[in-house]
Amino acid sequence: MARTVGIRISCKDASRLISQMQDGNIPLRQWLRIRLHLLLCDACNAFSRQMRFLRRAMESYRH
Amino acid sequence: MPMTDSDFASRCNIHRSYLLRVAVLQLRDNDLAEDVVQDTLLAALQGASGFSGRSSLKTWLTGILKHKIVDAIRRKERDPVRASLEEESQIEDFDALFDESGHWENPPADWGDPEQALSQQQFLDIMQFCLEKLPPNTGRVFMMREVMELDSDEICKELSITSTNLWVILYRARIALRQCLEQHWFAPTGRTA
Repeated sequence: MARTVGIRISCKDASRLISQMQDGNIPLRQWLRIRLHLLLCDACNAFSRQMRFLRRAMESYRH
Repeated sequence: MPMTDSDFASRCNIHRSYLLRVAVLQLRDNDLAEDVVQDTLLAALQGASGFSGRSSLKTWLTGILKHKIVDAIRRKERDPVRASLEEESQIEDFDALFDESGHWENPPADWGDPEQALSQQQFLDIMQFCLEKLPPNTGRVFMMREVMELDSDEICKELSITSTNLWVILYRARIALRQCLEQHWFAPTGRTA
């Protein structure tokens, strides 16, 4: 368990990084933390899908 | 095929109401939006030779409009509004969304297949309602990113803010929008009459 502590992040941090990923690259280390978190967390998975949907929804304002 | 100036002007004018809609949404100020669209059409006529016909006229005009909107936002930022953008980026009001260990207080719901909502006018109205509820500067920055498709560096440069501030503003906008959409469309169970 102790070994995983360093790469675990909270939903609070994960959601912030998921948003940030839509605005540019994030460091690899952070990206790996997100992938791991998403494997384990339904809520953040839902959040991540919602963020992608928001972006698609906003595309309709471009035309 | 030769085209007279007035032909070009009337072809541009066809897109006027579209341009105005975009400008109002992004600037939230009808008078300013009118001015910006006026400037855009004027610039288009003056720069008509720059229109190569490779993109559609609407796309070309929207490109000019983007610059005019950014200019207008930047001018606005020089007056006291600027302070409020900095304030908006510094409010850390996210704590209430998470418990002490950083877990969601109210976990985001599964929206199922949300794509189909995009073809429903009622959903688009709610989307509009949710966008208008954003704090004004937060909304403007979000539109710069998502509708005008400026990248982070450009927005930071235009508004003289740090990327950390920008990420906080965009995160706030997205969190607020997802909450609003969930409450009013995807899972309206918590709604009070």
